[in-house]
Amino acid sequence: MTVHLVGAGPGDPGLLTCRAAELLGSAEVVVYDRPSMADILALAGTGDKRCVGKSGSRPAWPQAEVNQLLVDLGRAGREVVRLKAGDPFVVSRGGEEALALAGAGVPFEVVPGISAAIAAPALAGIPVMVRQIATTLTVVAGNEDPEYRQRIDWSAVAAVGGTVVVLTGRSALRGIAEELLAAGMAADTPVTAVSAASRAHQRRVTGTLAALPDPRMRPPVTFVIGAVATLDLLEGSDAHP
Amino acid sequence: MSVEQHYLVGLDLVGRRVVVVGGGTVAQRRLPRLVASGAAVEVIAPHVTPAVQAMADAGELTWHARPYEDGDLDGAWYAITCTQLTEVNAAVAAEAERHRIFCVRSDAGTEGSAVTPAVGEHDGLLVGVLSGGQPRRSAAVRDGVLSALRTGAVLDRPELGRLAGVALVGGGPGDPELITVRGRRLLASADVVVTDRLGPRELLDELPPHVEVVDAAKIPYGRAASQDVINSTLIEHAKAGKFVVRLKGGDSYLFGRGFEELIACAEAGVPVTVVPGVTSAFGVPAMAGVPVTHRGVAHEVVVVSGHVAPDDERSLVDWPALGRLTGTIVLMMAVERIRAFAEVLCANGRPGDTPVAVIQEGTMRTERVLRTSLARVAEDVTAHEIRPPAIIVIGPVAALSDELITE
Repeated sequence: MTVHLVGAGPGDPGLLTCRAAELLGSAEVVVYDRPSMADILALAGTGDKRCVGKSGSRPAWPQAEVNQLLVDLGRAGREVVRLKAGDPFVVSRGGEEALALAGAGVPFEVVPGISAAIAAPALAGIPVMVRQIATTLTVVAGNEDPEYRQRIDWSAVAAVGGTVVVLTGRSALRGIAEELLAAGMAADTPVTAVSAASRAHQRRVTGTLAALPDPRMRPPVTFVIGAVATLDLLEGSDAHP
Repeated sequence: MSVEQHYLVGLDLVGRRVVVVGGGTVAQRRLPRLVASGAAVEVIAPHVTPAVQAMADAGELTWHARPYEDGDLDGAWYAITCTQLTEVNAAVAAEAERHRIFCVRSDAGTEGSAVTPAVGEHDGLLVGVLSGGQPRRSAAVRDGVLSALRTGAVLDRPELGRLAGVALVGGGPGDPELITVRGRRLLASADVVVTDRLGPRELLDELPPHVEVVDAAKIPYGRAASQDVINSTLIEHAKAGKFVVRLKGGDSYLFGRGFEELIACAEAGVPVTVVPGVTSAFGVPAMAGVPVTHRGVAHEVVVVSGHVAPDDERSLVDWPALGRLTGTIVLMMAVERIRAFAEVLCANGRPGDTPVAVIQEGTMRTERVLRTSLARVAEDVTAHEIRPPAIIVIGPVAALSDELITE
């Protein structure tokens, strides 16, 4: 086994899986996206660390180059951890990396992580599913990909209802809210933005579809839309950072 | 060399000159920790690896792109020589000896005046192991110690005292390695563990004998009543001063009824912490090679509980709307009613040839994966005797796994 596609979870090293922590400890190379993952990268000790995401003024690597890097490292027989925020396969591009590795005949494994779609709300006191309130959870990628004009059917998403979580959608939230309103979702449907979940500077702000929470928060921001968004199970406890 | 000849020590290298002769992969492995210690690191080597070059470019160290010369160790406190040339390493070690500078020789440990221990870090601790020239043994011990610290088998903060209350821990889909580091650590500190049929049950075997394990699946009441019994079990033990871990499969809030347990504990004045887990809805497909979203294929995924049929009056799910979705649908607890779900989805627009993957006992050694289509899934589930627990993934992503299977 050479390349491990590993979910890093929401950011707190305690929320890594044991498997992820173990692999990081023995990795020769760690390929990662977010400089803010420093606490997790520290587990990798002296392994070579390569940032392929946006770093300072430098833009993120094109996906094809990331794929090629992983293939090259894998072919060189290096013990590689490809660290992905959250889960590699939930609104992430781990699938493309897996296909590239499979196509090149490089052995790899997938280690799931805790997706921010569930962890960010939970850490902000919001259970995404409550039997009496919401029995479906829809997770959508917020940033419509210009390369793929495949549209999400917002009217179906609105009709399914339940809880809708938008990932990577800081700039797209307004457009999504308009689509959901046009599809008939109630204007007073609660929307909560959770910023920097599991970090010391975690914050939550609640609004509605008609009066959205101010999205100018520190990334990553996860949006929860639906009746559960007003719940705050941590209210009054000291668990809110 | 026997281990007695070495003295293990921590050096304060902040601002002190440290010379590394050689810029290959050995240097590359040693340099980050030296840099992190605050040493003024100078690398002397005609050529270096791209990673060493990057550290030099970033200003973390100084690189002199030339061969070693006698006198290079002037003013150094510590030296490492790791070139591929024995005579150069010998010359560096000899200069170090003359100037009383401790020097590591990577090609012949016994010839240098210092050796590098196997080192690892955990939460502000630095662990170093020396074994007198058996690096694999040192590394194995280091890995074992670090793993024990991470899992909580070794408690490094006894002064923090005993934990109290209830922790709702999501154990992940079943593979014991997929519990979180924090979940594992809390489990190791538990006095009482309340488990279900699902989740990483193998972890229970590792609990010390004094830990009381309550199997919630065996509580002899009706299904509705059993949740109340679980709630009162958690509360009673916590109020008796025990630290209780409620270990669940997947994540506590995704069908885990963690919400009800949390409310019950809070109302009883018992402190509760929630540790999220890897949900089976995403983790099980992932490990079976099915990404629930994939760029250009599916940009949204809906997780749906299949615990009641579409026409059941208790159902809150709008199945016709689900049928109109083009993204991925993940059905949980749906094996027994899959015929009704497949029919309602097809009747509302989802094509019968939509790929479907059914994963029984995902992430476990007993995992079985059935690949079929929406039109055939009910028949195939019966024919292959698929039983719960199983996750059903509906959508084009279910067909990607054919390309993802590697040996």
